[in-house]
Amino acid sequence: MSANQILVFSEKASLLRELLGKARQEADALGWQVAAVVFEGDPAAASLGSAGADLVYPVPPAAGESPERLLNALAEVARQAQPAFILMGATKVGMEAAASLAERLDAAYAPWTVRFQIDPTTCAATAQCMLFASSGMATYQFTPGLVVLTSAPGVFPKPAEVEKTARVVSLPLAQPQGRLEVLGSREKVRGATSLEDARFVVDVGQGVKQREDLALVESVASLLGGQLGCSRPVSSDRDWFPEWLGLSGKKVKPDLCLCVGVSGAVQHLVGIRDSQRIAAVNNDEGAPIFNQADYGVVADLYEFLPAFSERIRARGLRPTWTA
Amino acid sequence: MKILALIKISLDVAEIKVDPATAQLRLEGVPEKVGNIDKNTIEAAVRLKEAAGGTLTAVCLGPASAKDSFKDVLAMGADDVTLIEDPFGGKGEPGAVVRILEAAVRKLGPFDLLMAGFASDDGYTYQVAPRLAERLGLPLVSYARQLSLEGGKLKADRDLDDAIQTVQVDLPAVVSVAEEAFPPRRTTLMDAIKAKKKPVNLWTAADPLGLSAEELAKNSRLASSSQIGIVVHRKGQVFKGQSAAVLADKLVDALVEDKILKGGA
Repeated sequence: MSANQILVFSEKASLLRELLGKARQEADALGWQVAAVVFEGDPAAASLGSAGADLVYPVPPAAGESPERLLNALAEVARQAQPAFILMGATKVGMEAAASLAERLDAAYAPWTVRFQIDPTTCAATAQCMLFASSGMATYQFTPGLVVLTSAPGVFPKPAEVEKTARVVSLPLAQPQGRLEVLGSREKVRGATSLEDARFVVDVGQGVKQREDLALVESVASLLGGQLGCSRPVSSDRDWFPEWLGLSGKKVKPDLCLCVGVSGAVQHLVGIRDSQRIAAVNNDEGAPIFNQADYGVVADLYEFLPAFSERIRARGLRPTWTA
Repeated sequence: MKILALIKISLDVAEIKVDPATAQLRLEGVPEKVGNIDKNTIEAAVRLKEAAGGTLTAVCLGPASAKDSFKDVLAMGADDVTLIEDPFGGKGEPGAVVRILEAAVRKLGPFDLLMAGFASDDGYTYQVAPRLAERLGLPLVSYARQLSLEGGKLKADRDLDDAIQTVQVDLPAVVSVAEEAFPPRRTTLMDAIKAKKKPVNLWTAADPLGLSAEELAKNSRLASSSQIGIVVHRKGQVFKGQSAAVLADKLVDALVEDKILKGGA
């Protein structure tokens, strides 16, 4: 049907809009079309034109029930629509679907894409992708042919809304089948506040010994109008917070990230490295976090944090992000 | 019950350094070992083997020199290891790597469960389990946290971004294990002694799988690829050796200088 189409999918609404915005830019440069895959009955489908979609392909809601059903639905859409390029969200659902889809369609595949370009003459794609748990970046130049890429939330900016309505195209799709039987599902507890938008984040590591000690950390956060984040073990082993910062968790970009008792595993640093400034308090001078921080304080956090609050108060200082 | 578990000899990514002048990744001398996620995979597999009886074979595509790297895996309860010497020296494209693993798994004969980490410690691209399931035509239970066998079916909790989903599936199936879901057990001296008697079988892609790197590379869709390191630009100032109050003042000074804190006399 259209060898000049970018097909976009994410089950996460905000991420889908980010991907559509990026796809729109590339499509405009090439004179291509952008198509989004949505679940039938999704009320957001009609508004995807405003993010850049020309077309919307609804798939049966059953496709959202299990990975194999999703894969079968996406593969059938791709078979009928014949896109030249598929861009998907790098969520857990998306990473699984994209790798399976690339294998099934015999497409080139690259995950964790942060930039891509399509050559207008050859239609060959080039992608820059995060490598080695984000220590490095790879550039892949593909030969012409179908390419599947995934990109994480926040890689591409939220697109400015354009006045445009996407055409809904109902492809003849069967109910997607899958062999997994879903017995139940329970939502994870989410943090109430949006860490991603915080100007100040206090990052809690395993050096904070007891749950009661969070009061001390919270007092610093509230003094400077910040929010608490943590490393993965503090969330997964101790269960103090529902979410963590890191490669597999949230990524923050505050003006200041204050790491308290964080050792600085590379997988964790990925979550905080877009901070404008990183300050770290740790009593172990050899902690890797000090190599990644603007300011390292070698001290007992239980002595340092009260002193830090006291000096800010005594000097009458406030953060620039409060009026 | 016959269980196969894929494991990888992974680079310790924390030890990958970047040359700040050239932005080149320094991969030489970075320690390599069976990955953490892979030990979680072995733990999950051993628990299922203990519950249901049967055998557990660990399958690894890696350097022949890794032959002695499996002591822990065998001590934990794997019965043997099949090490396939990697014809790409760790630099193979995932599409080709998966074809070798597929051939190895098929060669090892009919199995009930094929298990793998959801991603490798170093590559972290989440693609081997989905691609293999697709190539083998088997259902994939991804991101598994809890696993149990009930009435001939596998029941699992899948750890997704926003939810935990409980599923069940008929065997045979492919399972990918979520991170830190199955902390590896401590092994005893007795386990280690028993492990010494367990075989590590060395295969190559050619023998017995009949594959060649040249043939596999023909499927490549890459015209070229290159890598650089991400250079971190941080000030790296360290304050130490003074009282908490003095250190606090120094950090506060720095934050005032950066215009993060303002006001005051």
